[in-house]
Amino acid sequence: MDKTISLTLKVWRQKNAEDPGKFELYPVKDISIDASFLEMLDVLNEQLVLEGQVPIAFDHDCREGICGTCGAVVNGRPHGRLSKTTLCQLHMRHYSDGDTIVIEPFRAKAFPVVKDLVVDRSSFDRIVRKGGYVSVRTGQAPDAHATAVSKPDADLSMDAAQCIGCAACVAACPNASAMLFVGAKVSQYALLPQGQVERKIRAQAMVSQMDAEGFGACSNEYECEAACPKGISVSNIARLNREFLRSSI
Amino acid sequence: MLAKFLKSSIGRKQIVAVSGLLLMLFLVFHLSVNLGIYLGPHTYNLLAHRLEQLGPVRVVAEAGLTGLFLIHIFFTFLVVKASRRARKIGYAVQSSSAQRSLSTRLMPLTGTVLLVFIISHLIDFKFIDVNNTLLAVVEEHNLGLYGIVVNSFRNPFTSTWYMIAMIAVGSHLSHAIDSVFQTFGLNDGDTHRGLHKSSVIIGTLIALLFGSIPLYVLLTHGSLLQQ
Ligand code: FES
Repeated sequence: MDKTISLTLKVWRQKNAEDPGKFELYPVKDISIDASFLEMLDVLNEQLVLEGQVPIAFDHDCREGICGTCGAVVNGRPHGRLSKTTLCQLHMRHYSDGDTIVIEPFRAKAFPVVKDLVVDRSSFDRIVRKGGYVSVRTGQAPDAHATAVSKPDADLSMDAAQCIGCAACVAACPNASAMLFVGAKVSQYALLPQGQVERKIRAQAMVSQMDAEGFGACSNEYECEAACPKGISVSNIARLNREFLRSSI
Repeated sequence: MLAKFLKSSIGRKQIVAVSGLLLMLFLVFHLSVNLGIYLGPHTYNLLAHRLEQLGPVRVVAEAGLTGLFLIHIFFTFLVVKASRRARKIGYAVQSSSAQRSLSTRLMPLTGTVLLVFIISHLIDFKFIDVNNTLLAVVEEHNLGLYGIVVNSFRNPFTSTWYMIAMIAVGSHLSHAIDSVFQTFGLNDGDTHRGLHKSSVIIGTLIALLFGSIPLYVLLTHGSLLQQ
């Protein structure tokens, strides 16, 4: 038999966007330490359904740490306190028997709560849409060596492209700023030859959409990097600042 | 283009950064003049006199500085206002990672302390009557501006307040120098740790050098309360 733990969960419950919402306490018993955080919530939800109560709404999809759908603030930290881990990949072995865990939705004006722990992150989609396209030549497939990309640039670009858009950076930032996300998205193209044609328009368009969505301004606290499940570096924010300045002059 | 730049969150921060950097350069200049106190009353007063004689250059510099201060404060205010609006409902549990340094967390406090200090400092030293011999007499010698500085630091309240403000300067700069690099995109990841360390070292050094002056006065001339 697996080792199990019992916990008290303090979970944010909110019926819809208009409901003011409040915390509810839920005791959960005999949770396998090998269960993931989301599986633990599944167990609680089954229990709630059996009791005739409304289960807790939370976002999830792949449960493999690759899609960026899951996420909640657990004891004050987005995706919990384990570094470079999404909530679906956080396991209950990191908690002890008798712990109280406070679970809140990501908080930002740009992410209105839909229900309980589910927030609307479509502001991110709108920023990405402003990123536009990359211009490529039509015609024959280009020769594989036609466009040289240096290894350091390729690495940095791929590092930036690791962002799964989960929004933990915004949730962690004291200013609810989206600079790490936008920095990663702008960087991944700015570093590659394919992204050069629209480089300036892209930086301008994404930044103005970011501001229009009501995200805060970065004050270099670097909480975003600490919370990022993919370890996206704040040097991407520096690059965004540089790209923005370059495209403004 | 400029209007768009000034409206964007990044543009505004870059204004804050560049004005802050210029203010810091002024501070270094100010420090180098202040350290003249260690060269004795004669040299110190001569230095002050030379600065007085700069005439129009000084007027322009003072107007520029005032402008920089106002720009720095105004744009900080805009940035902070937008950030406050970005999270109306906070978290029930507040928890920061180790990434967030103390000086970063204290920026609003140190900034406010500095604003209050600068105003009181201007009242104390700038708008004072330098020819008021009563304030300039130290041990029966009229030492001019040097004497005024010594006498005001002999008041333990003034020097304590001054030193508190210098701790605020040190802390403010520890976050600021490193932030300037980040905000202008000169941090490429590898330089990050080194930048932060040098930022803390420079900030601390400036604070220590400024703070050493009231300590030196108190140690060499004694506090006014002891008399
Ligand atoms: S559910 Fe896909 S990353 Fe967690």
